[in-house]
Amino acid sequence: MSRFLEVEGMTAGYGAVTVLRNISLYVDHGENVGLFGPNGHGKTTLLRTLSGLMRAAMGKVRFDGQDISRARPWEIVGLGMVQAQQGNTLFGEMEIAETLELAAFNRRAREKAAANLDRIYTLFPRLAERKRQKAKTLSGGERQMLSIGAALMCAPRLLLLDEPTLGLSPRLKEELAEALRAISQDVPLVVVEQDVELLLALSNRLYLIEHGEVQREIGKDNAPDHQEIMDMYFGEHA
Amino acid sequence: MDTLISTLLSGVVLGALYALMASGLSLVWTTLGVFNFAHGALMTIGAFVAWTVSEAVGLGLPAGVVAGVASAALLGVVVEYLLIRPFYGRPNMLLITVMTTLAGMIILEKGAQMIWGARLKQLPRLIDGEVSIFGAVISAHEALIIVVAPLILLALWQFTTRTYLGRSLRAVGQNQDAAALLGINVSFTFALAFGLGAALAGLTGVLLGGIRFITPSLGAEPLVKAMIVVIFGGLGSLGATVGAAFVIGLAEAFLVLTLGLYWTPFALFLGLIAVLIFRPNGLFGRV
Ligand SMILES: Nc1ncnc2c1ncn2[C@@H]1O[C@H](COP(=O)(O)OP(=O)(O)OP(=O)(O)O)[C@@H](O)[C@H]1O
Ligand SMILES: [Mg+2]
Repeated sequence: MSRFLEVEGMTAGYGAVTVLRNISLYVDHGENVGLFGPNGHGKTTLLRTLSGLMRAAMGKVRFDGQDISRARPWEIVGLGMVQAQQGNTLFGEMEIAETLELAAFNRRAREKAAANLDRIYTLFPRLAERKRQKAKTLSGGERQMLSIGAALMCAPRLLLLDEPTLGLSPRLKEELAEALRAISQDVPLVVVEQDVELLLALSNRLYLIEHGEVQREIGKDNAPDHQEIMDMYFGEHA
Repeated sequence: MDTLISTLLSGVVLGALYALMASGLSLVWTTLGVFNFAHGALMTIGAFVAWTVSEAVGLGLPAGVVAGVASAALLGVVVEYLLIRPFYGRPNMLLITVMTTLAGMIILEKGAQMIWGARLKQLPRLIDGEVSIFGAVISAHEALIIVVAPLILLALWQFTTRTYLGRSLRAVGQNQDAAALLGINVSFTFALAFGLGAALAGLTGVLLGGIRFITPSLGAEPLVKAMIVVIFGGLGSLGATVGAAFVIGLAEAFLVLTLGLYWTPFALFLGLIAVLIFRPNGLFGRV
């Protein structure tokens, strides 16, 4: 059986600037994968390219056996790979409930919209309390919850999360972490996260992304200790 | 008393037409961030096609109305495809599309002149007869405009707030990347906004064609009015645009009554400038 997600020799960037160089990685069925590395080294660019917001200059992406290297973002969502962006404010003038309802846009998602909505309000009671509140008036943590909730409304078969706990207070972070652990029980994740504890708790395998390249793959058998990972975050091992 | 009421009524008729016209323009602006200068020309084509189908071919007015609205919508999609789509994502897209849609306006106007000539045409009224309201008399056609325009706008509002497709228009207008990541086909949404906006222009043309003579430049003045309305309303929500349309329609009717036709445009622009000085985000925009 082929891998769930497979990236082969991907090179991508902005205009003349190359950010990702020859990235190869994979996600197998039934595993969660973490991505980490210093700031500005290409993690967000990688996720944007996977979701089809940017086109890779070179390389192949296969999702569930299909070549999606040239697919449009909405086609990729339709196939089931969904992303919650880093620091996403979604639609400032839209209310929470309306945003979540809209997010079940693809055909697969519409059938499950009612059930998914219930589940999201259970996962994030804060959203349930603020159904009529506009997105622009939400706090950072609530925005993050809405963004993840909206991604869940798309009925993801693989969920890409870009720094879900960035800039949150410890209390909110814990609230969100708990929800993420619950989500990871039934949706496979690819997660970019600065909090080492959370990253290790969520993922089976890690990739260190540095200078736009996969510097290291970390599985259960070659797991480094906490301090080593912290060093890699700040790029000190190089 | 009678003049007061009939002025009021003609203001409401104007307001209803401006509201239809301006909401199409505003739909395109809020979804794509483009000011469509060809909006008035699309209206003109809608009126001409309705005239051809209804009068020249003789299929009757209902068929003419449908054909006029449909052809404007179709042409709107073509305008988006040819004049807007090639420039998406350019940092100076707003300026480029000012030029391309201005070019579109000229091409459509000249095209209409070549096809239909400069001779005046007129559509029959949608319904004959007159209606008396509080002692003032207006044509049944104008009364129909007062009734139909709010219904259409209500339907549009329901569409953009209640349906997946309509909500996707608003989502794309606010955050394209986020909309794309929720599985919305952004380019389709752009075409939809343009098609719907143009359909509203076409409908305005068909309604206006029963009041005024149809010429290749029929849409020029409504375009300017619609732009004033959209800016006056604060470049935002449908509700603000519709509100501004009726304010301007009524103001225009009363200015014509008091200052006369000659000074009315001048006074309207003066009012617009004054509003924008004190409320830079428009009459109904947040300060
Ligand atoms: N739109 C853009 N145009 C040009 N360069 C960009 C653009 N977006 C990002 N970059 C550059 O690409 C590089 C990688 O950025 P990216 O956002 O992918 O990093 P990251 O690993 O996600 O960082 P962080 O941990 O801070 O989120 C950076 O040097 C950044 O400045
Ligand atoms: Mg990032």
